[in-house]
Amino acid sequence: MSRGRGAVDPKRVSSELFSLTYGCMVAQLLKDFENPEEVNKQLETMGYNIGVRLIDDFLAHSPSVTRCSTLEEVAEVLCKQGFKMFLGIVPEVRNWSSAKDEFSLVITENPLAEYVELPPHCQDCLWYSNIICGVIRGALEMVQMDVKCSFVGDTLRGNDSTEIRIKFVKILEDSLPAGED
Amino acid sequence: AVVSTQSTGKDNCPLYVATDPTEDALKMHFLVHTSIDVIEEKLSSATAANDPRDLYLGQLYPNEDYRIYGYVTNTKIKIVVIETISNPLKDARQVFSQVHSAYISLVCNPFYSPGETITSQPFLQTVTALMRGKAIA
Repeated sequence: MSRGRGAVDPKRVSSELFSLTYGCMVAQLLKDFENPEEVNKQLETMGYNIGVRLIDDFLAHSPSVTRCSTLEEVAEVLCKQGFKMFLGIVPEVRNWSSAKDEFSLVITENPLAEYVELPPHCQDCLWYSNIICGVIRGALEMVQMDVKCSFVGDTLRGNDSTEIRIKFVKILEDSLPAGED
Repeated sequence: AVVSTQSTGKDNCPLYVATDPTEDALKMHFLVHTSIDVIEEKLSSATAANDPRDLYLGQLYPNEDYRIYGYVTNTKIKIVVIETISNPLKDARQVFSQVHSAYISLVCNPFYSPGETITSQPFLQTVTALMRGKAIA
């Protein structure tokens, strides 16, 4: 990421700093929890907390985004605008299920995982970028969509591609607090 | 042809050793060990006179069978390359800068702590390919 001297936008951060920060966070989580499954859960929770806040920022900065009526539209907006805005990548949408309620996002270049090599004891269980799943789940929940989001493959683990599977569960209805009519 | 490459950390413990199977590994280790002394001497004697940007130390000391080149990074990681007299390297600096780049990529891996022995596959592959004389893209 080279820029002209003195032309650094104060609101932008170098992508290397971002990758290194995320990497150190995952490494520290592994040291603290020692169990890769537990780390996966923690990353997802962290992502969820980010997602519920990020959605407002995203919608505020994208006035052209309208209410989506189908899951296909949701997938389009997620990839072409959401991911593009925050991570600078555009994942591919693939593998729609026959009922059109599940799809996959395939990420070709993952900025979180630059230079990363998983240690052998985590090779089979850690989803390094699991924070992304949490972000998607949190963001969509705030627009009244309940989705299940999980990784099915990661190039860091030796799979062919980095793939997230998103399954639509239901639309969330606003429910009255208990005790009120 | 390059017959051995070694990297040592700032406290002089070896991080990585690679030797061509045609040569005696123990002898290579010994040569590298003695060359670390030479590197230390160069580092301590280098005061303001030495250009701080020049990490490449050049040929370390004369030996009848081999040429030994040294390179030290700003973080005191020392890289030593030994090659046979018969087929000298055209550009030792190039080899060192490629090993240095591979080392930088390695260090950016959050799961590698500086000072640990290097077991990372991409780094090992880069060094092995360099030793065989293949250029890295």
